[in-house]
Amino acid sequence: MGTAAAESFLKQAREVQEDELNRFAARVAAQLQGPEPGPEAADCLQRLHLVLAASKRPRRLDAHLVELLQAVLCSPKCPEQIQLLCAAVLREMSPCDGLQLSCDGIHDTKLLSLVSSVLLAQGEEKAEVSAVGQRVVRALEGRLPEGQSSRYLLPILSNVISLSPEALTEEQTNVVSKKMADWLRYASIQQGVAQPSGGFFSNPRTRQPGPVTEVDGAIATDFFTVLSLGQYYTEDQWLNMQAFSMLRKWLLCYGGKEVNTPNLGDTSEMDGSVVSVVSTSSTSSRLLPPKERLREKAFEYCQRLIEQSNRQALKKADGDLQKACLIEAVAIMDIICKQDSSYVYRAASFLKILHGRISGDATYARALLPIAQFFLNHGEMAAVDCDAIYKHLFTDIPAQLFHNSSLAFEFVLFCKDNSQLFTETSSIFRQNFPNLFKFLAWNSPPLIAEFVDILPFLLDAGTAIEIFHLLLDLPCLTAALDVQMRSSSLPSSEKAACDPAVKPAACLEAFRSPLHRSAFQYLLRIESSSEDAQERLIPLRQLLGSLASSPRVMQCADTVPVLLELFFSVVAEFADASLINQLVVLVLQRSDQLYEIPAFKDDVHRVLSSQLVMLCKLRPALIMELSKELLEFSGTVSNIQNKEPIFTHVVWAIGEYMSVSYDKRCTVEQITRFFETLEAVLFEVTQLRPQANVPSYAPRAITVLMTALTKLAARSQDLIPRVSLFLSKMRTFVQSPAVTSVYCEEDREEILTRATELMNLLKMPSVAQFVFTPSVDVAHTRFQKEQTHCDLRDNFRQQLREIYRSTLLLTPRAFLICPLSSRCHAVFFICTRSLLYIFELYSVNKRNSK
Amino acid sequence: MVLAFVLLSPGGRPAPCRLLYARSFGPPPHDRLLRKEQLLAVARQVSSHCHLQHASSGRPPASPLPEDPSPLHAAPGGLFHLPPGDPFPGRATVTWLAAPSVALALVCEAHENLTLAEGTLRLLAGRLTALLRPHGPGLLLRPEAADLVLDRLLPHGQLLFLSRPFLHAVERDGGGKAAR
Repeated sequence: MGTAAAESFLKQAREVQEDELNRFAARVAAQLQGPEPGPEAADCLQRLHLVLAASKRPRRLDAHLVELLQAVLCSPKCPEQIQLLCAAVLREMSPCDGLQLSCDGIHDTKLLSLVSSVLLAQGEEKAEVSAVGQRVVRALEGRLPEGQSSRYLLPILSNVISLSPEALTEEQTNVVSKKMADWLRYASIQQGVAQPSGGFFSNPRTRQPGPVTEVDGAIATDFFTVLSLGQYYTEDQWLNMQAFSMLRKWLLCYGGKEVNTPNLGDTSEMDGSVVSVVSTSSTSSRLLPPKERLREKAFEYCQRLIEQSNRQALKKADGDLQKACLIEAVAIMDIICKQDSSYVYRAASFLKILHGRISGDATYARALLPIAQFFLNHGEMAAVDCDAIYKHLFTDIPAQLFHNSSLAFEFVLFCKDNSQLFTETSSIFRQNFPNLFKFLAWNSPPLIAEFVDILPFLLDAGTAIEIFHLLLDLPCLTAALDVQMRSSSLPSSEKAACDPAVKPAACLEAFRSPLHRSAFQYLLRIESSSEDAQERLIPLRQLLGSLASSPRVMQCADTVPVLLELFFSVVAEFADASLINQLVVLVLQRSDQLYEIPAFKDDVHRVLSSQLVMLCKLRPALIMELSKELLEFSGTVSNIQNKEPIFTHVVWAIGEYMSVSYDKRCTVEQITRFFETLEAVLFEVTQLRPQANVPSYAPRAITVLMTALTKLAARSQDLIPRVSLFLSKMRTFVQSPAVTSVYCEEDREEILTRATELMNLLKMPSVAQFVFTPSVDVAHTRFQKEQTHCDLRDNFRQQLREIYRSTLLLTPRAFLICPLSSRCHAVFFICTRSLLYIFELYSVNKRNSK
Repeated sequence: MVLAFVLLSPGGRPAPCRLLYARSFGPPPHDRLLRKEQLLAVARQVSSHCHLQHASSGRPPASPLPEDPSPLHAAPGGLFHLPPGDPFPGRATVTWLAAPSVALALVCEAHENLTLAEGTLRLLAGRLTALLRPHGPGLLLRPEAADLVLDRLLPHGQLLFLSRPFLHAVERDGGGKAAR
């Protein structure tokens, strides 16, 4: 359909004014009142429907027209098209005022279905839903009038129980359960007869029904199921198909409530599985109460379906149906076993055989999920060793079928639903996580939300490091999977899924070459590995660079920042000192070992930098323990250009946490060492080279460097003259022509303002120390929201709060008359200065954050 | 149980996605506006999944309604999840399919048989795109034709295990008379 044409129709329909609609409604009413509404009436109703449907707000229709619509809908002589349109209009109006429709007087089952569709769309009118349910059950119970088919009834019932399971009484559910058991188990195995066309030459004797057949063409020798084929179907075969289609829902709604099973004295429900296997195997099922009987027949039906799915279908469509049936059958068996554990033993041995049969067939891969679900639910009771089942599921399936998007979705949903169970009962889930990430790498958009739920279950002290690497390499994994797919002998349709614009000839060669094989194997590993192969991945990342622009790789790259943030928030909850230190080192290392997608690198740097500060806050002692790595990183000037966010945050963390308040091991020598390193960097960055161009460094990095140096100097006051001298030179720096050509005026002003503020502060060393060295208590409470550029502002705010708290202990009068200590003078001075700073810095930081 | 079926034109820059036909089967909300918003929310998500998958497949843009319909068994599609409360009260899964120039989707209750739902969606897609072809803005003006297809293949939102002969029987029953 032309989008423009559709757009135009919708626009016209929306623009219809109320008076115009009223006039049109009158025309529709006139058409409907005619002796037999014809094409013109249909045309009017179609337009009316469009006008109603195109608008989100309700449109009011004349009560007379609403009445007419209902009358025409129920009129037996009305053409089906008009009836369908009346129903569509009434549904579109729902919730519809003035609706007087009722199922009660309707004997035509097809019409009953249509009217029900209107009634059930009306909103949460439980009474109405219940009335529809009652009517349908009555129709199913009784004998239908000649020419009426019951095939319209079960879908209505299915809808009724979805909307309101309490719509049926227990007696009614028993009646239906009993009937369903019969439809499922005792439908005719002869084909139906074609409805006579009434032609002159038609001869009923030529249409003798034959037996139904199996999907492979063999004559069916057992009872009828949805996989039994015939040219025509009898009424009970229709009911068989419909009953199976709604069986799962029915069992979930009514199969489990074990109320009122009188006069049977059957204790099998309460007994252990061994006794019960005998009782449910008994042939006297007619004596069972309806629910139990339905369960038994449903179980037999599922067994038969599973057997039938072993046959070679002659047509692809039947093969597809076999798979859908198999999945349904296993799911129903699972429900039955949940409701009556006496079935577990039978089902488990049956499904174990089934698993053996289909596990090698990739086309049945989706059916492995409900089988695994069954064993997760009942494996323990059935005393079956399920490890082989899980192992196959988690090792072979993701590795081979990661590109099957439906399977990927169901697999990940399966993991999500069972993540708790898996983490408690089996190591397989955590062991095979690299495999699970293949699903995400290849199908990022639909799976990212599910992975957000799964990731916390995969993380523990043993997996955190490997998952960290895996997350950073996720887009690289996508590229590697792409190469793997291109090089393997996958069907051509799957190959078409790769981006043809990308020419990874070099990657393909590399994939086959022994030189890179082990790196590829590591990246595409199926199990968690203790081996540290990060070095090997460096050339591979470069090699796969040609695929970095592939849309699939880019989509995957977009998911990484979210998962990384989640990763750190989960890890922070359980990480010990060693893990935190390891992660900090890795953050520094991996910050320049990333797949070459510029936007991806920026995003990752942004996340890593904020998470690094979070780790430092969690464990300030790491600054001392990792001083070598941190000094090396913060002493490298090129880091400001390559990964400014991480550099800035590292420098900030050094300035903040390199303090005896946080770590008693912190000595003057160590502070000096850090000071000298940062000082050298700041010197390098602000050095004026008349001949050469001044490289542009982020002004934020310069201000944070100055602040960190000031903080360190405040804690080791011998350094104050050095930093003061440095800060005093900043005016010359920002005013030099070489700098003015590189930095904009705003940036220069910010740098200068910060330098001046810090210098002023250092003029009162005790105040500077007080301001920059919070007490341990403060240190533990002051960080609510960490932001580097807010450090001074936050610090001042916190100090102010403290200051006010302490000065408020004095009355204003006492404050004036009592001799104040020099500290109090300073505090008072700082109070007023601080307010100014805060406002100034706030505006500077706002600009910075832009 | 299927909660809703939507057929939409997925749009693209700058055209927004448009709902061309929709049918709800699940518990109807009190408010009509809410019902409409639920369906639109699904349509928008289907539209973005269509675009994302199209981008990742690297396929050239599909021509609008070619004379020979491309085989739907190869049409791109997928599944995604709707968390509880957004936009349906319970958790739901959407299976979608991108036919040329339109997309179709079934919103399924949690734990629905998704293999069956995907198969049913393909059946629906084949029949509904056939309806779209000869009539220009098609379904907007022929809701009863789509209703008829849905009433047969997805009566009251119930997914059916239809073998080929059953499918023929379903379609024989009553023929397409009302759809003309």
